[in-house]
Amino acid sequence: MAMFVWIVLALLTGAAVFAVLLPLSRQAPAASAPGETATDAAFYRTQLAEIERDAERGLIDPADAETARVEAARRLLGAARRDKATEHAGGGASLRRRRVAALLALVGIPLLSLPLYLRLGQPDMPSMPLSARVDRARDPGQIDLQEAMARIEAHLAQKPDDGQGHEVIAPVYMNAGRYDDAARAWSNAIRILGETPRRLENYGEALVASNNGIVSADARQAFDSALKIDPATVKARFYRALASEQEGDAQAAIAAYRALASQAPAGSALAATLNARLASLGAPPADTADSPAGAIAAMPEGERMAAIRGMVENLSARLAQDGSDVEGWIRLVRSYAVLGEPDKARDALARGRAALSGDEAGRGRLDSLGRELNIGGS
Amino acid sequence: MTRKQRRLTVIGAALAVIGVAAGLVLFAMRDTIVFFYGPSEIAAKGVQPGTRLRIGGLVKEGTLQRGPDQTVRFEVTDTAKDVPVRYRGLLPDLFREGQGVVAEGVLEADGVFKADSVLAKHDEKYMPREVADALKKQGVWQHAPEKTGATPASAQK
Amino acid sequence: MIVEAGHYALVLAFALSLVLAVVPMWGAAARDPALMAVARPAAFAMLVMVALSYGALTWAYVGSDFSVMNVVQNSHSMKPLAYKISGVWANHEGSMLLWVLILALFAGLVAARGGRMPARLLSNVLAVQGAVAAAFLLFILTTSNPFARVAPAPFEGDGLNPILQDPGLAIHPPLLYLGYVGFSIAFSFAVGALIEGRIDAVWARFVRPWTLTAWCFLTLGIAMGSYWAYYELGWGGWWFWDPVENASLMPWLAGTALLHSTVVMEKRDALKVWTMLLSILAFSLSLIGTFLVRSGVLTSVHSFASDPARGVFILAILVVFIGGALTLFAWRAPVLRQGGVFAPVSREGALVLNNLLLATACATVFVGTLYPLALEAVTGWWSPDNPSKISVGAPFFNATFLPLAFPLMLAIPFGQSLAWKRGDLLGVAQRLAFAIAVGVVVAIVILALTVGGPVLAPVGVGLGVYLILGSATEIATRAWRRGAGLGVMLRRAAGLPRSAWGTALSHAGVGVTVIGIAATAWGVESIVTLQPGQSTRLGDYTVTLEAVTPRNGPDYRETVARLRVTRDGQSLGVLEPGKRVMVGRSMPTSEAGLMTLGLGQVYASVGEIEPNAAGLRLYWKPMVLLIWLGAVVMALGGGLSLLDRRARIGAPAPARAAVPAPAE
Repeated sequence: MAMFVWIVLALLTGAAVFAVLLPLSRQAPAASAPGETATDAAFYRTQLAEIERDAERGLIDPADAETARVEAARRLLGAARRDKATEHAGGGASLRRRRVAALLALVGIPLLSLPLYLRLGQPDMPSMPLSARVDRARDPGQIDLQEAMARIEAHLAQKPDDGQGHEVIAPVYMNAGRYDDAARAWSNAIRILGETPRRLENYGEALVASNNGIVSADARQAFDSALKIDPATVKARFYRALASEQEGDAQAAIAAYRALASQAPAGSALAATLNARLASLGAPPADTADSPAGAIAAMPEGERMAAIRGMVENLSARLAQDGSDVEGWIRLVRSYAVLGEPDKARDALARGRAALSGDEAGRGRLDSLGRELNIGGS
Repeated sequence: MTRKQRRLTVIGAALAVIGVAAGLVLFAMRDTIVFFYGPSEIAAKGVQPGTRLRIGGLVKEGTLQRGPDQTVRFEVTDTAKDVPVRYRGLLPDLFREGQGVVAEGVLEADGVFKADSVLAKHDEKYMPREVADALKKQGVWQHAPEKTGATPASAQK
Repeated sequence: MIVEAGHYALVLAFALSLVLAVVPMWGAAARDPALMAVARPAAFAMLVMVALSYGALTWAYVGSDFSVMNVVQNSHSMKPLAYKISGVWANHEGSMLLWVLILALFAGLVAARGGRMPARLLSNVLAVQGAVAAAFLLFILTTSNPFARVAPAPFEGDGLNPILQDPGLAIHPPLLYLGYVGFSIAFSFAVGALIEGRIDAVWARFVRPWTLTAWCFLTLGIAMGSYWAYYELGWGGWWFWDPVENASLMPWLAGTALLHSTVVMEKRDALKVWTMLLSILAFSLSLIGTFLVRSGVLTSVHSFASDPARGVFILAILVVFIGGALTLFAWRAPVLRQGGVFAPVSREGALVLNNLLLATACATVFVGTLYPLALEAVTGWWSPDNPSKISVGAPFFNATFLPLAFPLMLAIPFGQSLAWKRGDLLGVAQRLAFAIAVGVVVAIVILALTVGGPVLAPVGVGLGVYLILGSATEIATRAWRRGAGLGVMLRRAAGLPRSAWGTALSHAGVGVTVIGIAATAWGVESIVTLQPGQSTRLGDYTVTLEAVTPRNGPDYRETVARLRVTRDGQSLGVLEPGKRVMVGRSMPTSEAGLMTLGLGQVYASVGEIEPNAAGLRLYWKPMVLLIWLGAVVMALGGGLSLLDRRARIGAPAPARAAVPAPAE
C-alpha cells in the first residue's frame, strides 16, 4: 500500500515533467501557430466581409458602409506594415535556451514539488472514507462503541424511518452523554413504533438529562403518558416525584419516593438514589421491599459513590478521546469539585484548556468555571 | 468640429461627471455617515438627541422586556455604562442576553435609543468586531460567567 | 491515498504554474518558438493537476473522510450528497481551491482556443495567468491547505454551517468565481499586450468573448447571491450595500464598462489606453473583493478567515499584481499608438459616456466601501485607543450611486441606436419617440393612480418600460425596410446578427430589473404576533396563522408556523416559515416562507415563538421577481452575443455566411 502511493506520486511527477518536455523536444513547434500578420489580415478581412454583408442587406446605409470599408482597409495595410517591421527583429529558436528550459522542467519540477510535499503532506496516511471504516468495524473482534454508533447513524441517515435503529442507538447516546441526541432518537422511536411505557419514560429521562436535571413540561408529559399506559412504570414514577420536588411540593415527593422504595429491592441503585433524595428532603430513609432499613444504611452511600465515580471516569475517558465537548469538560471539572477532589478538578481543567485550544469561547467558559470553583485557571 | 474641439468635449464631459460624482460623495458623506459608539462613548461625547448612530455592546442580563406587538426593550452595556434601547420588530436568531449586539437608530431626547435595526453576532464563535473593540476598551473581553447550577446526580443515573 | 495524491497534485500544479509563468514569457521576449510552445501544454497540465486535486478533495467529502481536517470541520456524514459536494467550497480552504480551479480552467480554455492567436500574445497571456495561479497556489499551500490531516480521525464531522446549507448558496460561489476569475483573462491579455507593446483591434476581438463570459457569470452570481440573502437572512431585503455585496458589484461595474469599451476598440481602434486600464481594474477589483471577503477585515457573514496571516498574504498578492500591472501600464501606455478621436454624438461617443458613468459609479461604491476601513486605520494609527468607527450604509449609496445610474439608463437606448462615427441625435430621438412617450405616459398614469404614494416608483417603472421598448425599437428599426411586408421584416429581424439581439436583450433586462426595483416601493410590511386562528391584513391579502408545530427534517428539527394566505376569501396556499436547529448545532436559523403570486411574493419569517403564539414578519413584495429575472435576461443576452459567429475569433474562419439572406 505504502509503495503504491509512491508509484502514484512518481507517475504524477512524470506527467507534469512530460507536459513541459514534449513541446521542447519537437523539431518545428511553432508550425501550428499562425504568424501575426496572418491573424491581423484575417481579422480585418472578416471585418470587411461583415461590412459588405451588412451593407448588402441594408443594415447600414451605403455612405456609412463606404467609410467603414475605407477605415478597415487602411488599418489592414497599417497592420501589415507594422508586422513587417517587427517580424524579424532578432530571436528565433536557440538550442541553448531550449536546453535550459528542459533542464528546468526535468530537475526543477521534482526538486520543488517533492520537498514541498514532504513538508506539507503525510504520504503514509491512508484515506479513511467512513464506509471503509464502518466495514472494518463489522468484524466483531474489533468493534468499538464509536464505530457502532457511526454505523447506526449512517444507516439512519439512509433510512430515517427505521424505528428499531433509533431505539437501539438511543441508550448508546445516553451513555455517551449526548442527551439531546438521545431524546431525539427516543422521540423518533415513539413516532415510528408507537408509544410504550419504556420508550416514553426513557424519552422523558433523556429530556431531563439534557435539561440539566430539570423536569420540563415536555418531560412531564412523557412520564404522564407512560403512567397512563402502565401506572407501575418505575422511572416515570421516580421522575414525577422529582418534578414534585422541584416544584417545591416536598410532601408529595416524599410520599412518592417512599411508595417507590417500598417496592425497590434492598441495596439496589434505585433504593440508594431514593434514599439520597429522601435525605436531601430531610426525611428518614424508607423501608425497602425485603430488608430492614438499618442493614443497608451504610451500603447505599458507598454504592452510590462508586456509581458516581464510575460515571465520572467514563466521562473523563470519553473526553480524553474527543476533547471538543465543552459541556463535557465543564461537567467533569464540576463533578471532581463536587466529589471533593480539587486536584483532579484542576487537572481536568488544564486538560480541558489544552484540548480546547482552538475554541476561545469554550476556554473562556472553563476559565470562569475555574474562578467560580476557586481552583485556579488563568 | 475640429479634432481639438472634440477632444475638449470629451474631457469636459468627463470632468463634469467626475465633478458631479465628487460633489455627491462629499454631500452624502456629510449626511449619511453613521458613527459607531459604545455606551461609554455616548456618555462621554454628549451625543445630541436626534443623531443617527450605531451602538454596540452586550445585551445586559435581565433587561430584556417584551411588550405587545413585538416591541422590545433592553439595555446595551459595556459594563461601565448602559444605554436603554427600544425596538419594534423581529430580533435576530442569535439575540440573547449577555451576548454582543449592534443596533442602529436614533438617540432620543429622553436618553432612550430608538433602534430601527438590530444585528446580533453571526455564529456561535463570532463576535461583531465593533462590539469586541468597544468591550476591549472597557477591559471586559470575556464571556459572562456560566450560570448552570450543579445537576442533581439522581437525574442522570 | 487518494487524498495524498490530490495533495501532491496541488503541489505539482504550483510547480507547473511557475514553469508556465517563466518559460513562455522568456520565449516571447526572445521570440523563441520552442519556448513559447511550452505555454499551451503547461497550461493544460496545470489544469489537470488542479482538477485532480479538487476531485480528490470532493472525493474525501463525498466519502466523509474524517481524517481530513477540512472535511471534519465542514461536513457531517448525515449531510445530503449535494451538500457534501457543495460543502467543498462552502469554507475558506475549499473555496480558494475552487478559485484556483476556475483560474486554471480559464487558462486551459484560452490555451485550447488559442490556436489562432498570435503566438507571442498567447504566450504572454498564459504566462501572466500562470503567475496569478502560482501566487494563489502558494497562498493555499502555505496558509489555507485543505489537505491537512488529523490523527486519530474523529468519527463525525462538525457539520456544515446551516446558513450555508442551501441550494442558492451552494451554486452562488461557483457562479461568482467564474465571474471574478473570468476577468483574470482580460487582465492577463492586458498585461501580456503591455509587455509585448502591441495592442489593436484584433486584441479587442480576442479578449471580448472572455470578458463577456465572465460578465454573464458574474451577473448571474450577483443575482443568485442577492436572492439568497433575500430568502435566507429573513430580513426581506434583496440588497444591503453590504461590503461583501459591493465587492462583487465593483468588478461588475468595471466589467460592464470594459465590455463596452472593447466594442469601441474593436470597431474604431480607439480607447486603447482606457481599455487596458479597465482590464487591469476589473480583475484588480475582483482581487480586492476576494481580499475583503477572505481576509476577515469586514464584519460580515462571509468572513470565514480569521487568521491574520491569510489577510497579509492576500494583501501581498494584491499589491504585487495590481501595483505591478499599474506600473507596467504607466510605463508602457504612452508607447501605445493612440487611436482616432471621434465625435461626441456617435455610438462611440455614447459608449464613452457609458464608460464614464459606470467608472464613476464604480468609484463611488469603492469610496463608500473602503472609506470606513481607511478612516479606522488612519485614526487608529493617529490615536490607537480611539479610532473613529463609521458605517456607510444604503443612504450613502442611494445618494451617490442612483444619480449616476439614472442618466446611464436614460442614455442606453440612445447609445444602441446611434450610428458609429457620427450620429444623428435628432433622428434617433424620433425613432425612440414611441418608447419615450410610452415610458412617460406609464409613469404619469401610475403616478395619478397612486396619488400620495411613493413618487420615485412610477418614474422607475416608466424608465424600465422605456428601456424595454427602446431595445425593441432598435430591433424593429434594423429589421424595418420601406415598403417591405411584415413577413419580410420578421425574417430580416431573425437574420440580424445574434450580437444585435444579445445587446437588445441585455438592455431590456436592465429595464426589467429597474421595474422590479422601483416596485419595491409599493411593498407592504407587517410585524405582528398571532395566535393560532388569528388573521392579519397584508395589502390585498389576508394571512391566517393555522398552527405552530414542531417538525423533524433529515438533519434538523424545526418549529414551523403554518400560515394560510387568502384573497377575497379564496385560499391561495400555505406558507411555512420556521426556526430550524441543525443536528450538532445549538444556533437556530430562520427559514423564510415564500409564496409566489404572479411576479410578486408573500414573504414570511418567524421571530419569537411563544407557547401558542408566533411573532411574525410579513411582507407583500409586488413584482419583486423582476429584479432577478432582469439579471437572468441580461446574462441571457450576454450568452446570445457569445453565440454570435463574430465572437468566435475572426481568424481565418470561413466567412461564408450560414445566415439565410433575406429575400429582397
